Amino acid sequence: MKKILTPTRGGEASLPNQDRAIQIAKEQGAELYFLYITDVSFLDRLASPVLIDMEAEISEMGEFVLAIAQERAAKQGVEAKALVHSGVFSEVIAAVIEEHAVDTLILGSPDEQTGITTWEYLTRLSEELGERFDLEILLLSKGEVVYEYQI
Amino acid sequence: MDKVRNFAHANRQMLSMALVFVFLASALGSALAPQKANAQQEAGIVITGRVLNTQGQSIEGARVMLHDGDENEIAAQTETGEEGVWTLEMARLPEGPLELQIERQHYQRLAIPLNPNMQQDLDERGALLMGEIELERRITSAFWAATLIFLGVLLVIAFEKLHSTTAALAGLSAVFLFSVIGGAFNTDFFIYDFERALTYINWEVIFLIMGMMILIAVIEGTGIFQWTAFQAYRLSRGRAWLLVLILMAVTAVASALLDNFTTMLLMTPISLQIGLALGINPLAFIIPEVLASNVGGITTLIGTPTNILIGAYADISFQDFLVNQTVGVLLALVGMAAYVMYHYRHELRKHPAGISETLYARLESNARIRDPQALWKSGLVFVLVLVGFIVGEQFHVVPAVPAIIGATALLVWLRPDVHAMIKAVDWTTLVFFMALFMVVGAVQEVGFISMIAVRMAQMIGENLILGIAVIVFGVGTLSVAIANIPLAASMLPVAEFLSGSIPGASSKVLYYALSMGAAMGGNGLLIGGEANLVTAGIASQAGSPISFKEFMKVGLPVTYITLTAGFLWLLFRFGM
Repeated sequence: MKKILTPTRGGEASLPNQDRAIQIAKEQGAELYFLYITDVSFLDRLASPVLIDMEAEISEMGEFVLAIAQERAAKQGVEAKALVHSGVFSEVIAAVIEEHAVDTLILGSPDEQTGITTWEYLTRLSEELGERFDLEILLLSKGEVVYEYQI
Repeated sequence: MDKVRNFAHANRQMLSMALVFVFLASALGSALAPQKANAQQEAGIVITGRVLNTQGQSIEGARVMLHDGDENEIAAQTETGEEGVWTLEMARLPEGPLELQIERQHYQRLAIPLNPNMQQDLDERGALLMGEIELERRITSAFWAATLIFLGVLLVIAFEKLHSTTAALAGLSAVFLFSVIGGAFNTDFFIYDFERALTYINWEVIFLIMGMMILIAVIEGTGIFQWTAFQAYRLSRGRAWLLVLILMAVTAVASALLDNFTTMLLMTPISLQIGLALGINPLAFIIPEVLASNVGGITTLIGTPTNILIGAYADISFQDFLVNQTVGVLLALVGMAAYVMYHYRHELRKHPAGISETLYARLESNARIRDPQALWKSGLVFVLVLVGFIVGEQFHVVPAVPAIIGATALLVWLRPDVHAMIKAVDWTTLVFFMALFMVVGAVQEVGFISMIAVRMAQMIGENLILGIAVIVFGVGTLSVAIANIPLAASMLPVAEFLSGSIPGASSKVLYYALSMGAAMGGNGLLIGGEANLVTAGIASQAGSPISFKEFMKVGLPVTYITLTAGFLWLLFRFGM
């Protein structure tokens, strides 16, 4: 069975992209993996005390975000799996692709208002991952495919 | 607050009395003794006085010398103590013209020839009271260096070019390098030495923060915050407008008792989950929450780092903050709530979709009390610490003491992993505070802060209402962009000076104005406070980043609404 991986943070802007990934998985009869990547590097620049295990707190939040995505997929007849990992975005994606033998990677391209990555970053990452793995990569914007990297 | 004493004024009076006492004791001794003048000289000569700067503040470490003009040598010398008091003692008075010389780094050297009347006093009584002597500031290369380094540290922190602690340490290192290397070539380059720098560290603040960190580390792990947020959701029965009001109230109270940064670390993830599950833009919850947390902390001594600084510096107790600030904060919160309800009216009017059973169960699980045993034990100790803050004041026990005792009691009672608890103390923050105190000390040492204080005093004159307005709105506006901890730390000596120079300001009202300005101003921009930044960081992890513009659209109006409420309250509270 084909495997599709789509990282998500669960915000409003990512919902159309989640829906498109669910639709593609349904059409191809593929196994869908939602991935949440915990990144607490924003805490490094703060002077105030961080007395809490924020990685655990945000991972818990990530699980919840993915539970919402799974529920969304289930409503459309797709059973999705949830993966929560922490680390650097590109490194985690590469590790998960390798671990789960992913066939298709679906990345949501940055929204003008709320995106945290840039278009240049995602296209460069797509090319790097495409060259490294036998992988189809789709970049989505508001649910539409705007860039495709073919094997 | 009428009963609040003017400590500065009282201290000054006491010191003047002490000087007079030293003088009278010497004079009385001389009068009762039957000897002639020569015999008096053998018994001892005492000259005493006090050295102040032009703002009437004591100067410590000034070198006071009695110069013998005939012999061209120093007949006697001493250094001023903590309160600027000095006493020269000699076995006998040198012959010939005498001159009193006073010198201190960063001040102009002063020479006072002892006139014939003074010398006659010494001959007859064996004692001379010089009274208060003022030294004038001198602008040296050290002044410019320390000022530029200080402003550089503020800018680096504001623009996040370096971690705040690294920025403060870099500033401190620059001060020392300038002092050591520059000072070796020219004394005008010397700012201060290490020993002097250490005197600027407020250890009361460091120990209070350390004790509170251990207490908070235990409490936060119990899940009480997450549980409270979930109960807020249940209580609101999905009505978004009610939910946001309850969440604001919860964060304001939690921030008053713990600190707003930790409160937001714990409240943001669960609030985001509630918003996402309800299908409502989570920013409509978390932005009002962080605004409320920045203001809520003002009510107590431990609610904000700036209050801890102000409390320790101005001797303002936990109870004083509570009594003098709470109503003002409540008024500010009401104004804030009205504005956020208006700003997010479209979002909060939505009828949210119900949460599925699976999500509800997961939310409930994420918001569970994780350690009930630890919760009641830490809760009890925390209450006792709060009682300690209030009762301790009666026995002149500083708040750091109950905090340290409470933290130790928890370590003994709960027996948590001591290494984990010590790790929970954020040493980075404590080092930041220590380095910051010393960097601010450098600009105090060279007179930059005094210069600001004098300029402000000239502008304000004797108008206390204007003084409160300048501090509330001025500091509030500066805090919008500048990190409020270094700002408050550098404004404390200014508030002290103005409290002594403006009639009626001895009630410490200007310190309360500083507390309000520094904390409320943090709401203006995303970069205005660490709680804002951490909230934005967590929100971006849930795909709901807070843009600079989005925050400013809510934060800036809220800042001025709350500053106005705070200002009006202070005028009312202090009877203007």
